[in-house]
Amino acid sequence: MAKEELDEKEEKEVMETAIMAGHILLENGAEIFRVEETIDRVCRHYGVKSGNAFVLSNGIFTTAGNEREGYFAKVQHIPVGGTHLNRVAAVNQLSREMEEGLYTIKELRAALESIKTMPGKRPITQIFASGVGSAAFCCLFGGDVWDMGAAFLAGLLLYAYVLFVSAPHLSKIVGNIGGGALVTFVCAFCYFGGLGNHLNFMIIGSITPLIPGVAFTNGIRDIADGDYISGSVRMLDAILVFFCIAIGVGMAFSLLSGIGGGIPL
Amino acid sequence: MIGEILAAMVGTVAFSLLFGVPRRYYPYCGLIGGAGWWVYSMAASRWEPELAALVATMVVILLSRTTAVWQRCPVTVFLISGIFPLVPGAGIYWTSYYIVTDQLNLALHTGYEAVKTAVAIVLGIVFVFEIPQKVFRAGRKQHEVTPRQL
Repeated sequence: MAKEELDEKEEKEVMETAIMAGHILLENGAEIFRVEETIDRVCRHYGVKSGNAFVLSNGIFTTAGNEREGYFAKVQHIPVGGTHLNRVAAVNQLSREMEEGLYTIKELRAALESIKTMPGKRPITQIFASGVGSAAFCCLFGGDVWDMGAAFLAGLLLYAYVLFVSAPHLSKIVGNIGGGALVTFVCAFCYFGGLGNHLNFMIIGSITPLIPGVAFTNGIRDIADGDYISGSVRMLDAILVFFCIAIGVGMAFSLLSGIGGGIPL
Repeated sequence: MIGEILAAMVGTVAFSLLFGVPRRYYPYCGLIGGAGWWVYSMAASRWEPELAALVATMVVILLSRTTAVWQRCPVTVFLISGIFPLVPGAGIYWTSYYIVTDQLNLALHTGYEAVKTAVAIVLGIVFVFEIPQKVFRAGRKQHEVTPRQL
């Protein structure tokens, strides 16, 4: 879309909208290059030729301006949030439609606003999904039907803990240690209460919802794309969570063997 | 075997729900996760588990990229949940279990295996993302999307 010169106000609007698109992507689990590219696309499409973005795993730095266009600079800090891939997919779709010329800048902004508030899954659905996922992975690693039942229960409790205790109130480290320990305790109580025959498989299945799959995969992809800073931050995040889960499970085992006088595991 | 693949599919769909994947993509996520586990268990019966993880990761990513191009949506949507069955969650568990029960040799062994599996997954991801996007778009008419958008 060839455009005549933008005035300063229009340019600012384009830049703000581009940042907003980037913000939504980054916050909800997109890779760095996708964020940078989307910002660039929005700038170019609406005629800001000097737009420039530098994206880190938790912030977006943008500037625009040269001898013909006005100056604009903005830094936005973006805390690591939950993963909502539906929003990433929606922004991607929107950017594709924008390239086909279906949106004015105002419409694009309105569309982004509605993506931003796109509802996630309800907590009860998430808790249930965590239970089902735990049971399925328990089966995958060799558990029988009773083990799956216990893993289902542990998965439910775990995600209730993640949603209502760990995510809003605890740091990542304490939250994941607590999660690992909680799973181990719940599974141990089920096991000694007679539900389930293989404590190991029960625990392996039910810690799966804690595993940082998004950070791990995105970290690798960012590093492969040459975004080393963001990639290492995300990998560090993943490794930290892996370690914390292991520590949580280990601590719970130690406590249990202290209470039970050595549990026959 | 069939039961395991089904479990992998159900598990993958459950996790794609947790990550907020749009509902219409659940079947693809499930199929990709199931296919990954199928390849993994076939390969693991012949080769080392790390090699099996590498091969299975490559299959998962090939399928994810193909589906992403076909469905025109970010590859992340399929990739993250599809790779879940392969991530060494069991390795983490056994390592900490052996550490706590003072079986250091076994702990080292399983920890090392878990790291090897993780490296295999990393390599699988890196190798397959090296394939140019246009390979995946063969058979689809040239669109105004530039290579990296998907």
